[in-house]
Amino acid sequence: MSTWTRREDERLLSGRGRYVADIQVPGCLDAAFVRSRVAHGTLRDVDCAAARQVPGVVGAWSAADLHDLPPCAHATADLPDLPPMPHTVLANLSSDEAVAGREWPVLVKDRVRYPGEAVAVVLGEDRYRAEDGAAEVTVRIDPLPAVVTPEAALDDTVRLFEGLSNVALEGSTGQPVDESVWQHAAAVVEGRYRQALLLPTPMECRTLLAVPDGDRLTVWSGHQAPHRLRRELAAALGWPAERIRVVVPDTGGAFGSKSASFPEYVAVAFLAVRLGRPVRWIEDRLESMLVATRGRGQDQRVRLAADADGRLLAYELHIDADVGAYPHIGAGLPMQTAWMATGPYTTPRVHATLRSVLTNTMTTYPYRGPGRAEATMALERSMDTLADRLGIDPAELRRRNLIPPDRFPYETPTGRRYDSGNYAAALDLALESLGYDAWRAEQARRRADPHALPLGIGLSCYVERSGGEPGGLHEFGSLEVGEDGVITARCGAASSGQSHETVLPALVAASLGVDADRVRLVDGDTGEQADGVGSFASRTAQVSGALLSHLSALLADEARDRAAKLWDLPPETVRWSGGTVHGPHDGAPAMDLAALVRATGPLRVDDRFESAMAFPFGTHAAVAEVDPELGTVRVLRLVTVDDCGVVLDPAVVHAQAFGSAVQGLGQALYEGMCFDDDGVPVLTDGLLDYLLPTAAEVPPFVGRDTCTPSPATRLGAKGAGESGCIGTPAAVVNAVADALRPADRDVLQLPLTPERVWRAAR
Amino acid sequence: MKITLTVNATDYPLDVEPRRILADVLREDCRLTGTHLGCEHGVCGACTVLVDGEAVRSCLMLAVQCDGRSVRTVEGLAGADGGPHPLQRAFSAEHALQCGFCTPGFLMLAAGALDADPDLAEHPERVDSLVGSNLCRCTGYAPIRRAILRAAEEQQRLDLQA
Repeated sequence: MSTWTRREDERLLSGRGRYVADIQVPGCLDAAFVRSRVAHGTLRDVDCAAARQVPGVVGAWSAADLHDLPPCAHATADLPDLPPMPHTVLANLSSDEAVAGREWPVLVKDRVRYPGEAVAVVLGEDRYRAEDGAAEVTVRIDPLPAVVTPEAALDDTVRLFEGLSNVALEGSTGQPVDESVWQHAAAVVEGRYRQALLLPTPMECRTLLAVPDGDRLTVWSGHQAPHRLRRELAAALGWPAERIRVVVPDTGGAFGSKSASFPEYVAVAFLAVRLGRPVRWIEDRLESMLVATRGRGQDQRVRLAADADGRLLAYELHIDADVGAYPHIGAGLPMQTAWMATGPYTTPRVHATLRSVLTNTMTTYPYRGPGRAEATMALERSMDTLADRLGIDPAELRRRNLIPPDRFPYETPTGRRYDSGNYAAALDLALESLGYDAWRAEQARRRADPHALPLGIGLSCYVERSGGEPGGLHEFGSLEVGEDGVITARCGAASSGQSHETVLPALVAASLGVDADRVRLVDGDTGEQADGVGSFASRTAQVSGALLSHLSALLADEARDRAAKLWDLPPETVRWSGGTVHGPHDGAPAMDLAALVRATGPLRVDDRFESAMAFPFGTHAAVAEVDPELGTVRVLRLVTVDDCGVVLDPAVVHAQAFGSAVQGLGQALYEGMCFDDDGVPVLTDGLLDYLLPTAAEVPPFVGRDTCTPSPATRLGAKGAGESGCIGTPAAVVNAVADALRPADRDVLQLPLTPERVWRAAR
Repeated sequence: MKITLTVNATDYPLDVEPRRILADVLREDCRLTGTHLGCEHGVCGACTVLVDGEAVRSCLMLAVQCDGRSVRTVEGLAGADGGPHPLQRAFSAEHALQCGFCTPGFLMLAAGALDADPDLAEHPERVDSLVGSNLCRCTGYAPIRRAILRAAEEQQRLDLQA
């Protein structure tokens, strides 16, 4: 057995990983940004003169300085003025209309709209010099009132963009529910839930290194979608994409936060080209906390109706989403919540409405489980409130309403077509793995004992969507065989810790019937792979995996065709087996791939392969003990049952599922941004101000799975890795609510800080 | 300021600004980029190295404070036979890393503890407090805990055989 479980491990465990900050380029300059200390204001003046006098500072620019740049005579002659941020309008998620008139400048021109927005950039011979220079830039901003929540921004008394509403996008799914349904229902419960703004917090912050060479630019970035980054940087520079190569080296986590272009990226690429010198920006943690994208950020209002037997009759969800200062992909994420509002239940009437509201905060963006985590939280909390109202056990209430296996494919009232599922099997396995009845007995015992700490059991049945939206369900790639028989797989994916180098070659090897050692993967490089989509929306196994399986079949076909020609045989008589082509009978000629390539020339198959959406699902269950005097929550047991269809590498998937569940635990209990009265994040203690789970918070855990293959995808695989962020938070919150049974469950808003729990216990 | 750092048993005579932190000098002056910077204010522990055998946050220490002292980084981690260190093998076996960015910090923290505490395998609670001192966003920590215990048990077996 090899020393190393994954191909990535040897280098990452011996200090030979290569992240962007590790790449040494002679003469490279470091960028430091001068940032607004206010959330909202009018920019009066930026003076970079003193910064330019600092030893080791190569240049310092505000937006005004770059606007007046004279045209250059050499390779950068076609460089425009500092361009605005390219915006991404992805597959119905956002729209041109939301963005129109709301340009996101790379450096503030006249109005600061979020705290930390960059007003100037300083380049130095190293980061120390660049920061020395940044400290000398003087900035004058006249503060304006800041609106930091959707509630405050909705009435447009303070507008972020003159003449335009703060509501950037409105949307809905399903049909309005007739008032008579609510009036005649045996039980109607309501709830208001605030989904806090979360910091994705990969351990490596954002990075970009831009190296110009003649009329070309090579960009290194820790990124999920190198082809998108190339396209957007090319648009910003006014270049054809072919002149830019984006390479993703080792990337220290992403969790959805590294798939876009950001103002700093455009500034760095622009200045690298402008100066003809390599420039890099290695974001530090405090910058990241101030200005990296946030996830979630929804204020939800729900109504859920059922008959006396607990059969769901109708569900209504309204979302006011905090999408930050500039409409980006995050402006469309509430639509994902609306599409997924039906959840795993047969509810006949579901209606979801939303408003995406601009606020004076950094832009909202995907964070692991975007849109779906919010949908699950709203529905699953409401299910527990309903169970309490009807006096039905929460597990039983769910069981009565889960979509049964024979109803798939299932069309939801909110426009989704679920591919496959056995939701009740996941619920049953979760209950069994938890020891549900025993914990209920323990709960009853404690309720009878005035000295015992209250204990609650929380369930969360979820269904999510993986792969992406129509228009983005394809991937590009190739397989190439060398004369040595080594097979190189290329595709548009990019790993930020998901073990692509291990899992994808193993998949190709299994598809072709060859040893995995013969297959290597090249991804995350637009120079190696001309077109690509990337790794987000849990799409790599499902979509890139399907592509590589398809390419393997093409490769075998091509090998058979070539052998048939070589041997002058009908192609259908040539067999492919174990990486070798064989003639029609024993004793007929046979040739392995390497020999075939030597005999017939280079062998390469390229294609674009279209996949489909899939709908992973599961049930998570938590047991929590609450100290009503201290407001503390101790999770005694966490069980996750996930079904992501056919699993390519169980150990890799389980490891991601567990890490995801721990992030979900953080979402429920610890993680949230604090703002001061003027809308500026409170970061006096740095990373200690945003409580990430540590090892001390990890509860006893049981992770199980069921397997319901997707009929819609080539491998039967559905996306993995986001389940914990989607399913776990509601299970934990429901457990706390079940322990305390507060008269007003809306007191329990995320994260469940000791103060909130203490209040709920009063 | 002229200093000499002994890093992984190699002497590095350097001329560094007094304000430069140890992590930056290791990464840029010594070109040992295995030590990663995750927060630069002592919270995450990704930059943990051993200075005279003791685990320190190399973002909270100036390089000049280490003049004449011995520094050990992930690049210097190796088993007794020159092959992979038991911690490196155990981390791989237990899936104790995904993106790998925090990994060198956990490895050096654990390597220091293994050297200082031959009985670590007998005291899982000591492993708990070790793992609790650094941040990881991918693994959920339990695999890291298992890996450190596994390496500690292996070391204990080897010590007994010796």
